[in-house]
Amino acid sequence: MKIAKILVQGIVQGVGFRPSVYRIVNALGLKGYIRNLGNIVEIILFEDEKQVNDFIAILKEKKPAISKINSITVQWIDESRYFYPKNDTFEIVESSTDFSGASVIPPDLAICDNCLEEINDSKNRRYKYPFTTCIDCGIRFTVIENVPYDRDKTSMDDFPLCQKCEKEYTNPLDRRYHAESTCCETCGPSLKLYNHKENEINTINPLEKAVKLLDEGKILAMKGIGGTHLITKVRDNKPIKKLRKRLNRPNQPFAVMSRNLETAKTFTEVSSKEAKSLLSKERPIVILKKSKNYDFAESLAPELHNIGVMLCYSPLHHIMFDYTDEPAYIMTSANISGEPMMIKNKEILSSLYGIGDYYLLHNRRIINRCDDSVIRYRANELSFIRRSRGYTPEPYDLNDLIKTKKINKDLNILALGPEIDVTFTLQKQGLAYVSQHIGNTNKFKTYEFLQEAIKNMRNITKTENFDAIACDMHPQFFTSHLANEMGEKFNCEVIPIQHHHAHGAVLAMDNSLDELVFIAADGVGYGEDGSTWGGEIMYTNINNYERLASLSPQKMPGGDISTKYPVRMLESILSNSETYQGEELESLLSSNYSHYFQHRETEIKSVLKQINSNLNVGITTSTGRILDSIAVALNICGERTYEGECSMKLESFAYGANGDLKIEPQFKKINGRPILDTTQILVDIMKLISNKENKKEIAAAGQKVVSEGLAILAVDTASKMGINNIGATGGVFYNEAITLATKKYVESEGFNFVQHKNSCAGDGSVSLGQSLIASSKIN
Amino acid sequence: MKIGMSHGAGGEVMGKLISETILNNLSKKSVNGGIGLDALDDGATIPLGDHEIVVTTDGHTINPLFFPGGDIGRISAAGTINDVAVMGAKPLAITNAMIIKEGFSIEDLDKIIKSMDKTCAEADVAVVAGDTKVMEQDKIDEMVVVTTGIGILEKGKAIPDSGLNLGDKIIITGSVGDHGMSLMSFREGFGFETDLKSDVAPVWGMVEKALEIGGITAMKDPTRGGLTNAINEMTTKSNVNVLLQDEAIPVKQQVKAVSDMLGIDPYEVANEGKVLLGVKSDLAEETLDAISKDKYGKDAAIIGEVIDNKNNHVLIETAVGGQRILESPIADPVPRVC
Ligand SMILES: [Fe+3]
Ligand SMILES: [Mg+2]
Ligand SMILES: [Zn+2]
Ligand SMILES: [Zn+2]
Repeated sequence: MKIAKILVQGIVQGVGFRPSVYRIVNALGLKGYIRNLGNIVEIILFEDEKQVNDFIAILKEKKPAISKINSITVQWIDESRYFYPKNDTFEIVESSTDFSGASVIPPDLAICDNCLEEINDSKNRRYKYPFTTCIDCGIRFTVIENVPYDRDKTSMDDFPLCQKCEKEYTNPLDRRYHAESTCCETCGPSLKLYNHKENEINTINPLEKAVKLLDEGKILAMKGIGGTHLITKVRDNKPIKKLRKRLNRPNQPFAVMSRNLETAKTFTEVSSKEAKSLLSKERPIVILKKSKNYDFAESLAPELHNIGVMLCYSPLHHIMFDYTDEPAYIMTSANISGEPMMIKNKEILSSLYGIGDYYLLHNRRIINRCDDSVIRYRANELSFIRRSRGYTPEPYDLNDLIKTKKINKDLNILALGPEIDVTFTLQKQGLAYVSQHIGNTNKFKTYEFLQEAIKNMRNITKTENFDAIACDMHPQFFTSHLANEMGEKFNCEVIPIQHHHAHGAVLAMDNSLDELVFIAADGVGYGEDGSTWGGEIMYTNINNYERLASLSPQKMPGGDISTKYPVRMLESILSNSETYQGEELESLLSSNYSHYFQHRETEIKSVLKQINSNLNVGITTSTGRILDSIAVALNICGERTYEGECSMKLESFAYGANGDLKIEPQFKKINGRPILDTTQILVDIMKLISNKENKKEIAAAGQKVVSEGLAILAVDTASKMGINNIGATGGVFYNEAITLATKKYVESEGFNFVQHKNSCAGDGSVSLGQSLIASSKIN
Repeated sequence: MKIGMSHGAGGEVMGKLISETILNNLSKKSVNGGIGLDALDDGATIPLGDHEIVVTTDGHTINPLFFPGGDIGRISAAGTINDVAVMGAKPLAITNAMIIKEGFSIEDLDKIIKSMDKTCAEADVAVVAGDTKVMEQDKIDEMVVVTTGIGILEKGKAIPDSGLNLGDKIIITGSVGDHGMSLMSFREGFGFETDLKSDVAPVWGMVEKALEIGGITAMKDPTRGGLTNAINEMTTKSNVNVLLQDEAIPVKQQVKAVSDMLGIDPYEVANEGKVLLGVKSDLAEETLDAISKDKYGKDAAIIGEVIDNKNNHVLIETAVGGQRILESPIADPVPRVC
């Protein structure tokens, strides 16, 4: 007789998959066993084909809510060669590590309704217990060290189950059956509160005490799920300014956590899609427009019309809000700018010395650091700004690309991303596992975190070797250096990928397209000609790309300092025009903008000389630099203290304009390449300013001419190539006004406008694009 | 393939040229077990009896020939004397070969040789041999000076670049970026009305005083590629991790201002009168005191330490920005900030 060996890949561990199967099989009266095998599930059935097929049909229907089946394979094996229980039953047996499949453990999810009920029920033994979780909710990725996903491979292993928990854990009919992170007050993690001198504060309820301190205006560092938050009140400028000073973040907007949707609606405008995202089990931060009733301190998100909001996701947060009447708290990652969030208790106490007033810590180790995810809707379409907690490590399924033979399923690829908003991607068996947010790899600790996170991802995906390592083309990115090191270590090819090509490939994949024309508008991406691109019209079929049009190449006197101080960019751009030459330009700058130059008149002169001598001058077609220049021309923003600051403030400044000013885009050609003349845009803007037009309207017109100019170039390109899909990618497309204007023009010309849906418009998805392209190149 | 400017810029491209086209083609590269060409140190050593002779050579081209704080004569003498000195050897003599353009002003040549003489006198060094060639107008730019330096030290006392050990302190003997920044702004005519001038000077005085304390483990003159390049070379050759404190590194205010305006990192531009040292931690303060007594060492400072025995990374810590990796500079900076 034959027996059926059924292998299930997907999100099948740590989600109550085995008990579900147990229940189905018992109801059908079948015999056999089930076990976790490496990172997949193996079901053995001692039954014939009909019964096996019935079982599979029911399984697909009745699988647990948060599980996901990517594939089910059935092999028929000779009975004599297989172990199975002799007593005519179905059993769940010990896990085995010996198979390497392509499944993955689920991400960390918000508390479920059942658990929420328990922590609110004063008669329940988990009443107000902040680490309550079950098979349907809570921590997963952040606590796992290896697969199979069993408690002994997580940091919950530090907490042996008490009798009551053990009983739940071993009862297949309980919802905590094999809930690997289950615990209770008796056996699980606990909280401790410390003051800034690292002394423990004696209190029976550290959380309640901490909230009281918060409401007195203190800054609290609180260790949570994937990292640590710095928390303070939202309506009081004083603690916020204190926090800004201590973190050296003078302007960067802080995100807030609110108790529930109703409350969030009191200070923001929430669309139905946004509400759905806020309430989703992934609980990302959603960028929302401030409402008319918004009354938080100005210093919270200065000069912006929107604010990042998330709702409570862990029991810890729910209980925190039980102790206060505040509508929301600032919840910002506890890290030195660009460095990883702190996750170790000792580190939190020592490295945040002088930043937090109090520290609320728990004793559960965080294995995989995971920042809050951030999303923004533009034109009612979701894009990730950061895809991390709640989503990582769920892979992208590349089946479409495999079917069309764009990429080869059997390749293992590691792609390391760009530099500042780095994620990495591990591609294996047709699945692309994009890592959690890693950060700015220019910082040493982040660079180390990257390497550690790669190691952990290799563990949980059981990946030993790579066929290729992909990286950015930028010769100085640390990720490029690391790619070379790893290429040597794994004895495989290193494939540098052009930055915007990677952006475009993700966009194509995200929309299941084989090819498209796309606008890549962002801050910086190293181009094949050695200059810095970022306002490009390109074509890609994933495997290859063509650069077909762009913004005018502009000089960046001093390289990156022109990004930090955009007035240098403005000077450089205006110096190209016939209108503003020599002394005229100098006097314009010194009478209106000299305070934006660190060294005033001397610098105005030296920038001009630098432009002429080409000493340390970069060349860029970046859209970000044009938006920065418009912002500084309008006196909106003179220094970039956080990524995207000037263009974000420009968008907010222009928000609500009626749109009655218009700047006509002008085009020319350089070496046969169509160019949107950005010098003319700035000249026109300066004219409107000197004519004393309304500045809000000028800002709106400036954004619009950039969007339409790019859109016109894209439409021209697409019609010449006979392609109907025009995409938009790059960080600039987080800007809603720009996205809407581009979409409007593209659609009015009869083309299909393609946006990111389930990926980042910005650099968070660049590693994914690199991976797709690399695997198509060595296909 | 042809030689490009980057082949002389001190970066990766130049490294490749040196190892593939130069080192690989030479067979005998050291004498009597001394430090040879392969070490790519500041100079070579030739053991003889109880002593070692130190030899080094350098070609000098500079535009312009006369600049604030110095001229090609001074830099040609100091450059070679300093390469001998940072091996830990007392410089004894240099040789001087000059290739001069037809039509060059003899008056200028006179000034250049006088300046060379004055510089040698400071370190008590003789000019013991020389050569003079003239080339046609369009074959050469003004003049090229090649100097060879000779020094001496006790056997086994040479100080390599590669001697850094865990715990060693890193000392710089004065403010960084002066030569490169002043030359650049002078040459390009930025006209920053300043007292900005090159630091070109012989460093033997400082080195001699520091050597007497006895704690020096590694030493290098941070010329081309500046502090960043020198500390990276020492770190890589020593196979350690170094952490520098940004705030401790002396930079003149004028240099900082020019750096702000041109976007050029003062740590990446050349110095011609500074020494970068690794010193055993218990003797660091004493060594610093000794250096500070020299007229060129008044601004000396401890700027960091060796924090690990692995990795070959130079990290730099800023008060508010955490730690970043201080990379070896490449020829042209490419924007990387979004
Ligand atoms: Fe980008
Ligand atoms: Mg040297
Ligand atoms: Zn639950
Ligand atoms: Zn328990």
